Amino acid sequence: MDVPYQYAGPEIPRGCLASKHTFAGISAAGSDTAHTRCHARRMDATSRNPRNHSHAAGQVFCGIIPPHLLDHLSRAESSTISGRARRTLEHDALQRTRRRLTTVRGLAAPAEARAGSDKPQRTIYDAEHTETLPGTKVRGESDPAGQDASVNRAFAGLGHTFDLYSKIYSRRSIDGMGLPLDATVHYGREYGNAFWDGERMVFGDGDGELFLDFTTSVDVIGHELTHGVTQYTANLEYLGQSGALNESVSDVFGSLIKQYSLQQSAEQADWLIGDGLLGPDVDKGTALRSMKAPGTAYDDDVLGKDPQPATMDGYVNTSQDNGGVHINSGIPNHAFYLAAVALGGNAWERAGQIWYDVLTGDGLAKDAQFADFARLTIDAAKARYGDQGEEHQALLKAWSQVGVTNNQGQ
Amino acid sequence: MRIQVRRTGGFAGIEKHAEIDTADRADAAQWDDLVERALADGRDTPPVGVPDGFMYQITVDGRTVYCADPRLTEHQRKLITRVLKEGA
Repeated sequence: MDVPYQYAGPEIPRGCLASKHTFAGISAAGSDTAHTRCHARRMDATSRNPRNHSHAAGQVFCGIIPPHLLDHLSRAESSTISGRARRTLEHDALQRTRRRLTTVRGLAAPAEARAGSDKPQRTIYDAEHTETLPGTKVRGESDPAGQDASVNRAFAGLGHTFDLYSKIYSRRSIDGMGLPLDATVHYGREYGNAFWDGERMVFGDGDGELFLDFTTSVDVIGHELTHGVTQYTANLEYLGQSGALNESVSDVFGSLIKQYSLQQSAEQADWLIGDGLLGPDVDKGTALRSMKAPGTAYDDDVLGKDPQPATMDGYVNTSQDNGGVHINSGIPNHAFYLAAVALGGNAWERAGQIWYDVLTGDGLAKDAQFADFARLTIDAAKARYGDQGEEHQALLKAWSQVGVTNNQGQ
Repeated sequence: MRIQVRRTGGFAGIEKHAEIDTADRADAAQWDDLVERALADGRDTPPVGVPDGFMYQITVDGRTVYCADPRLTEHQRKLITRVLKEGA
């Protein structure tokens, strides 16, 4: 079968299964290439920084779905596809083509976009509870606010995001060349999620029970758009530690966008991701993630417990969620928080600038590991503020506290 | 027929799992057709998907296929939605 919308880099999130996250009845496989690759990657990371994976000794094993399980599977007999389904499939094929294009680093913005000013060019679409993208255009840049609160929140959130990147980091939109900012709201029915599809932010209304409307939190909007910034810059592979870094960068700038819009200092900020997003069925929870105290955002009968670790001691090896990209992001998230609070003042100024320098610099590889990112931020702090500066010291301490490097930054 | 759906990823990164057994159901025949079409459209290996997108693993009587938002077919979407809603 064709493999239409995979990234050029990593294969699939098969790989390191931890004892607490296994597929029932599926054991570790032997000599598949992915198995070898997984080990190679892990050994490489370990050899560069032994501290990085020491917690995992004796716990990690790499496995995939056994090929024999897949081999005997029969393809279902094809039958007449209804017109509606055929249209869906055609739509999918178009999406896959677009996807392949947008994963190419440095995709040029349309010419008309480059001619833009330092003002955003926002367009909000309404999926009208379907899962067809982009949906119907409901608000453009020059249109006044309407009655739909989701549309208005998305529009405002795009503006806050554009402002931080533009005014603080002199970045013109997510690609640096004035790319128009698009968002789709009311995606699907009772859809409890938001994502970046390579071209736009997409927001569901939530299921009304566990999750509310995903446009509720400006940090969620900033998070999604920052996936766009990452796509156009470091293009961190959405898998394992580089995937967790991709997620963490989105949380960091998502939080900074909220802090900047509220003009909150590091001390005043709540450092929560998705504050106000949890629905009425969640009794014990404040948000989806906490950068200040990863693992404490919720602990609820229905939702379970926030699985994020704050330090490498709690690093979770799993094959789910592209290798736990939303789980282990807690570690670099907490490092940023520690550095920002140690420096004090506005987190977007020095700590944020250092993170931005690394994200957009030449040194960050697509498959960067936590330790690589840590060293780059330490180097960036030295380059921008000097090696005797408190910035350098704050970063050495922060990465050491979360167990990614020692207190020498090694 | 035992149908299992596992949803992973998503902005919250919270896993959801549900299954149903159509043997106990009066509408088993409807499920047969839906399952056949959903599996026919599935992939044998998990796609990387998009940032924060849901990823799905559908297992029917031992056969597993994968798919991911926002590129579900109509049948996959319907099957996943029904199992996650009606399943245990």
